[in-house]
Formats: sequence, structure tokens, C-alpha cells
Amino acid sequence: MKRIIYFGFLLIFTTFSSCEKDDICVDGDTPLLIIRFYDAENPTEFKSVTRLRVVGQGKTTTVDTFADRSMLDSIAIPLNPASDTTGFFMINDSKDDDEGNEAGDIDNLTFSYQTIDTYVSRACGFVANYENLDSNLTMDAQNWIQNIEIVKPLVKLEPEETSAHVKIFH
Amino acid sequence: MSKYFISTYFLLCCFLGYGQENSEPNTKDPAVYKQPYGLRVGIDLSRPMNSFFKPEYTGLEIVGDYRLSYKLYAAAELGNEKRDRQEDLYNFTTSGSYIKLGVDVNTYGNWYGEQNMIYFGGRYAFSTFSQTLNNYQIFDSNRYWHPDGFANRSSEANEFSGLTASWLEFIVGVKAELFAKIYLGGSVRLGYLVSNKDPENFKNLFIPGFNKVTDGARFGIGYNFTLSYFIPLYKKANTPRKSKEEPPTLPQEN
Repeated sequence: MKRIIYFGFLLIFTTFSSCEKDDICVDGDTPLLIIRFYDAENPTEFKSVTRLRVVGQGKTTTVDTFADRSMLDSIAIPLNPASDTTGFFMINDSKDDDEGNEAGDIDNLTFSYQTIDTYVSRACGFVANYENLDSNLTMDAQNWIQNIEIVKPLVKLEPEETSAHVKIFH
Repeated sequence: MSKYFISTYFLLCCFLGYGQENSEPNTKDPAVYKQPYGLRVGIDLSRPMNSFFKPEYTGLEIVGDYRLSYKLYAAAELGNEKRDRQEDLYNFTTSGSYIKLGVDVNTYGNWYGEQNMIYFGGRYAFSTFSQTLNNYQIFDSNRYWHPDGFANRSSEANEFSGLTASWLEFIVGVKAELFAKIYLGGSVRLGYLVSNKDPENFKNLFIPGFNKVTDGARFGIGYNFTLSYFIPLYKKANTPRKSKEEPPTLPQEN
């Protein structure tokens, strides 16, 4: 009888120990860069960008984290973890001209950073965090972006935290 | 000639001995059952088998136990394991040795002449090992920059050495005498991690002797199948405790 109890205990332990969360990554992710748009004349007020479109440099598709050509004052865009710079074409008032080309105001914005690979868990493996975030806006004849402020130079996934890393004034 | 014989007899008087020195009556029970005590050494069969069939694994375990009393055995395992593991986005190799020390308690009531065991036991186990992170990719749920895969970080292998872990093991197993002095055994082990020194920015996902380490849990499962040889050293009879051997007094029924 005692033996049966021992084996029973072992069976229970074995059963429970095989139910793991080790197969699906739920504990972490490579973070997105959160940008908020502010009014250049009134720097404490949010100001939406009309028909905003963001295209990564070297890519032919728009950033897939928000609805293309929508009116937004806050976006989250992915940085490239395989590089230490990521460039974006930030397009204000995006529209096609008669020939199908982009007719909006295009600003060329590049972020530079250092990636820190961080181990999360068995299922997730490693994610990238970014530190020493900096921005570089290519000056052209007509920049719609007036000023850029890096609020948080460390880009890291924080639960329940959605405050901006970067403020863009326009 | 006979002179020499007589002289030799005189000489041999110096070496007088008494074969019947112990003249007390023999109080020993002639039917007393003496059981063999000694050392049993062997190897785990499952680890060489796995080494043969699984290219990512090599391992060896030597097992031994020494009978202390009627039911109690001091037991130990000594082993070495090396294992490659490919997870979804990274690949690592664990390599190291372990020692497990403890006791087994036989719960099986053997018939006359049998020396089999159905036992439970406990061990304290200690392992020193190294983890090598061979390559990894960056997990990113956003697929914009790498639509067909994940960002590669397969630079050079990164070895974390000098890692240690210790754990307690609860064991249930059997040992059966297959031929004279040759025993076949098997055991299932439930480990509970006591200490675990993780490498920096990585984790011990496998510990030699302990097996897989689960996220957020301290338990691990292991097993072995052993073939061992019993080296008898001496024989001793079991001296049952009198108080426990008394038959229970049955209540009188009228």
C-alpha cells in the first residue's frame, strides 16, 4: 500500500512538471520605439500628423504597426536589431500624385543606438534592447519636423509602460 | 629411523593446540539466516545507449551502493554528461560532471535467498559544469525588418564556465538479481534544486545529472537503468528487534 502511495506521488509530480510555459514566448519581446508628436508652437500639447506614413529605409513597404496614412499623435515603430542605425522616411500628408508617386512631405530621420542582447527565458531566448538612442534628421529645403527630443535613451520593454522614447515637434 | 620420529614428536609438543577450546554448548540457532553484505558497483545503461543513438548527447554514470544494515544502503552515483540543445532561436552545449550521495531504503520483503530491492532513497547531488552558447538569434515579434527570419547573432561561441548547482533527489527504484551477483535495476528521480549559479545573461537550462531545468520551477526529473555486480564482503544475520516482533494481542471474543 505504501509503495502505491509513493508511486502515486511520483506520477503526480511527473505530470505537473511536464506542464510548462517553456514552449511559447510570453515573457519578453524586442521593444518598439514609441514616438509622440507635439505642437512645435505649443510644446506641451499633442499635435496629430495628418495622413502619416512611415517607411523604413531600404524597405518598400510601410511600417506595419499602425494604419497607413492615418491621423495620429503617437506611433510605435520597430528598430532594426541587426544594425546600430535605423532610418525612416517620415511622410506628412502622404498622398499619391497622378503618376502614383509619393507626393507628401518626406523627412529622412535616422536613429542610432547600441543593441544589448538580453536573455529572457527558454521559450523567448534573446531579445534586443537599445541604449544610447540618438536621432539625426537630414536637413532638406522643407522639413516638416521642427525639433526632436530624446526623452528616454534606453529602449526596453516595460510592462504597462507606454510613455514616449522620442518627442517630435512639428 | 623411529628415533627421529620420536624426537620429532617431542619437538612438536611445543606446538600443542586445542581444537575444542570453546567448550561451551553451542547456543547459536543452526537455522539462522545470514545475509550477504558488501559493495555493489555498476553502470547506468541508459546513458551509453543515449550516447549511441542521439548524436547530440554523450554521457556516462557509475553507480554504487554499500549495504549498511538490513534495509539501509549507502548509495552514490558519479557521472559526466555533455549535451547540445537547439532551441527555436538559440543553440547551447552543456558539459560537466556530477556526484550524488545518499541512502536507499529497501522496502521489499525478500524470500529466503533473495536479495532483490524495491526501494526509495534520497540523494544530495552536486554538479560542476559549463554552458556554451553556440549561436542565437534575436526574438522580435515584429516582422518588419526581418520578414523571413530573425536577426542573427551567430558570432563566436560564448562559454560560461565554473558553474555549479546542487539539488536534492527523491528516488523510487528496483534492483533485481538477474544472475548470481549480477543485478539489473532502474530508478526514477525527482530532483529539487537547492542552488543554481546561472551564467550572466543566460540560464542553466540543463544541468548534468539533473536534466532539464524548467523556467520558474525547481523540480527536475531523471531516471537510470543500471547493471551492477555485487561484491560480497561478509555475512550477517538480521537481528530483529524483539519488541516489534511480538504478536499483537488479540481482543478476547466470547
